[in-house]
Amino acid sequence: MQPDMKWLDDPQTFRVSQLPAHSDHKIYASVEEMERQDSSLYQSLNGTWQFAYSKNPMSRPTEFYQTDYDAGGFGEIQVPCHIEMAGYDKIHYINTLYPWEGKVYRRPAYALGKDKTEEGSFSEAEYNPVGSYRKLFDLDEGLRGKRVCICFEGAEQAIYVWLNGHFVGYAEDSFTPSEFDLTPYIKESGNLLAVEVYKNSTAAYLEDQDFFRFFGIYRDVVLYAKPSLHVEDMWVKPVLSADNQSGTLSLQLKVSGEKEDLPADSVAEFVMLDRESGVCMKGTLPLESEMDLPAQTLDSVNPWSNSNPYLYRMEIILRDGQGNVVETAACDIGFRRIEICNKVIMFNGKRFIINGVNRHEWSAEGGRCITMEDMEWDIECFKRNNINAVRTCHYPDQLAWYELCDKNGIYMMSETNLESHGSWQKDAVEVSWNVPGSLPEWKEAVVDRARSNFETFKNHPSILFWSLGNESYVGDDIEAMQTFFKEKDDGRLVHYEGVVHNRSYEDTVSEVESRMYATPDEIIEYLENQPKKPFILCEYMHDMGNSIGGMKSYIDLLDRFEMYQGGFIWDYIDQAVYAQDKVTGQKVLCYGGDFDDRPSNYEFSGNGIVFADRTEKPAIQEVKYYYGLHD
Amino acid sequence: MDCTTKLQVIVGDATIGMRGEGFSYIFSGARAGMESLVRDGKEWLYRSPMPTFWRALTDNDRGCGLALKSGMWIGADCFIKCVGIMVSIDDTPITVPMAPANNVYGGSVPADKAAVTYVYETVTQPPTQVTVKYEVAAGGDIHVQVHYEGKKGLPELPVFGMRFVMPTCAERYRYEGLSGETYPDRMAGGVPGIYEIKGLPVTPYLVPQDCNMHMQTKWVEVYRSTILDNSCKENTESGIRFSAQPGKEFAFACIPYTAMELENATHQEELPPARRTVLTVLGAVRGVGGINSWGADVEAPYHISAEEDIDYGFYIGGVEK
Repeated sequence: MQPDMKWLDDPQTFRVSQLPAHSDHKIYASVEEMERQDSSLYQSLNGTWQFAYSKNPMSRPTEFYQTDYDAGGFGEIQVPCHIEMAGYDKIHYINTLYPWEGKVYRRPAYALGKDKTEEGSFSEAEYNPVGSYRKLFDLDEGLRGKRVCICFEGAEQAIYVWLNGHFVGYAEDSFTPSEFDLTPYIKESGNLLAVEVYKNSTAAYLEDQDFFRFFGIYRDVVLYAKPSLHVEDMWVKPVLSADNQSGTLSLQLKVSGEKEDLPADSVAEFVMLDRESGVCMKGTLPLESEMDLPAQTLDSVNPWSNSNPYLYRMEIILRDGQGNVVETAACDIGFRRIEICNKVIMFNGKRFIINGVNRHEWSAEGGRCITMEDMEWDIECFKRNNINAVRTCHYPDQLAWYELCDKNGIYMMSETNLESHGSWQKDAVEVSWNVPGSLPEWKEAVVDRARSNFETFKNHPSILFWSLGNESYVGDDIEAMQTFFKEKDDGRLVHYEGVVHNRSYEDTVSEVESRMYATPDEIIEYLENQPKKPFILCEYMHDMGNSIGGMKSYIDLLDRFEMYQGGFIWDYIDQAVYAQDKVTGQKVLCYGGDFDDRPSNYEFSGNGIVFADRTEKPAIQEVKYYYGLHD
Repeated sequence: MDCTTKLQVIVGDATIGMRGEGFSYIFSGARAGMESLVRDGKEWLYRSPMPTFWRALTDNDRGCGLALKSGMWIGADCFIKCVGIMVSIDDTPITVPMAPANNVYGGSVPADKAAVTYVYETVTQPPTQVTVKYEVAAGGDIHVQVHYEGKKGLPELPVFGMRFVMPTCAERYRYEGLSGETYPDRMAGGVPGIYEIKGLPVTPYLVPQDCNMHMQTKWVEVYRSTILDNSCKENTESGIRFSAQPGKEFAFACIPYTAMELENATHQEELPPARRTVLTVLGAVRGVGGINSWGADVEAPYHISAEEDIDYGFYIGGVEK
């Protein structure tokens, strides 16, 4: 397989030799490692990498991945870090319009006709920066002699990967893990990993989020080893039964072996533990590449909720034919039930109320490259202010965030990485060209994004809603995303707001009536006129600057209409960037337009209930008060 | 005659002075207002207090086009014409201008109370009037009564009240009211109590804008140490108290900047170095809104009509010892 620059231009090519998305369970080399939660199978590649910036594909160092390439002209960059924040490319904030607005005329491939392939649109663009990354590494002890894969937890926006001079694969979707098998080319020492990161590809049309436009490797890069037997995927399905006391649990496992045939008499043991390490359920399955444990009944389970985020732990032990432990795997799970009964969303048998916020991953220091401390601070902020729910606007977050929400009982709307408002929210709603729309050439790309969201996070009890994306209009392609989620039949609800712009998809897209910024009167109008679906606000109370006035009018609706079930404030944190003031030399908060970036939407990214430096805005006391009235 | 319990009124040639134990005030014609407010030896005014009509636009104000509807109030806030001054001693009007009629007094005039009233005319179209009456009691307490004359055809007001600019920055202020920064449509979360705020914090919104409003306030005390008097070698902290009329409340903000200074800045670091204390004591505050920031106005009850009268008042006096 040879890399092809044209993949950048083709919406139908979005993963090449990329491993399938799978559950984010942890793996260990032994039972002891699992008990200590300290695995020898992972190796971080974070740190200082060699780096070269090119303004466009034509000027990039094409041979940089070769082992004999002289990288003397390369500089350095930290991984993870946005390339712009490292000072190599201009920081740019813009809301709905595509970032090339006014600079280059572009239309998405196939949007205006089958013959409009738009070849060269990105691969030959005058401005489409490339980050060329090189990392030399030796394998840690625990990874040697095993199959080795690499996981880019977040790389924006299209990446080509080589190891030791060999092309390994290509990936898009900046906000879900991209994994590749390095086994054929890996050595114990002296490995050269080379990654070409492109600022734009056709993925740019699908990643038009209202935020700072960054590129680069901005989340962790991790190597992991697969022992001779390996849990590729686990899907644990705990359900709280209708009596709200008992539960059922089913399990699907996918296992791979070093050799094509799994060893005879090898087994998978499964153990479900409660918090006190008491065994609630266990069993053994003869090892197959795909295993299915049908629903088991548990007479008494401790339900997971915001007030009682009780987690159980599912552990898997793979043994070879001689009974030796080859690999162990684990994930946390919770028993809960979300459903719509009589047009009302019910959670564990009670009417569900969302006291939510939208949360972008943000720090003024690192942009969307945030730390564990940032995430833990956010959770504490949620808890002290009665925030019970989060929408991961408008893309999947770092893996650790899902675990934190599980542990702290935060109800999550897990949003798929999709936003294309530049293709239909122009000066007004205008869909003469729109992606993904109903274009067949764009369908697989967006369904794949839904699949990555689902497969990666399916075990997290915090996720109660899958969201198809944000502000991407609606069409057959988004409908296909919903079909994908519903076929998984995992009990969660599917959310999408954009169907309000084209009601012909109302019955097949979104199980809730979702609006953004509807006035209280508009909500009442919907709810008093034969409403079809329960009503939520995926965005409301726009907290730009000094705002959050009139929240009472929304909260009062909770007492007036059973089918009004709350919403997510826009939003959690101001997106502003620290930079040095040219006059005083002080570190100051900057926003769109402060980097000569045009066109821009300037301070429009400052809508948080906390400031960009994670201090609370004064209005948060109002949020705390109103979110304390209903739980 | 017991001079210590009487107010001493000095009917000057261009000003009215009022003195008593621990205070001395000067009301000026040329300065169109109260020019000096000295308590415990400390000057509390840098310039005459004036009516205020403008708040530094919030993002939501900009979004809903408030400036395009109500922009004339920014002019009114900056520039105002004094069209009348009335003075009375023990409720008896005296002649203004005072000279030469004041030649008859032969000294300061002892009184139980005295009052100076200023009438201002706005530069709006149509113009309207604001009347501010300062009534000083023998003990030095000042009762300020403010009347805004509603006028048909005027656009809604961003805010209405009186702005006091003090010569130096306050060390702290205390107030009895609601916790935190509150507005008429955002004060359910405010917890009633007595609060002390160190320094003169400005809420660091990304773009500087109206901030630090405190609704439902019974009183606020501002404490300063520094003074501008070059002969004074020692700075001691003392306070001044603004309190609501019995059974009533006002809103206030106490920051180092005027609305115009906030309005001019696109970032916090563009604000000038903090030099003064700007205390606005308000009779009407517009809500901040929140439905969106690109067109939705604040909800109906939280607008301020400029077509209707606004009356409010407060007392200025010493802090509780």
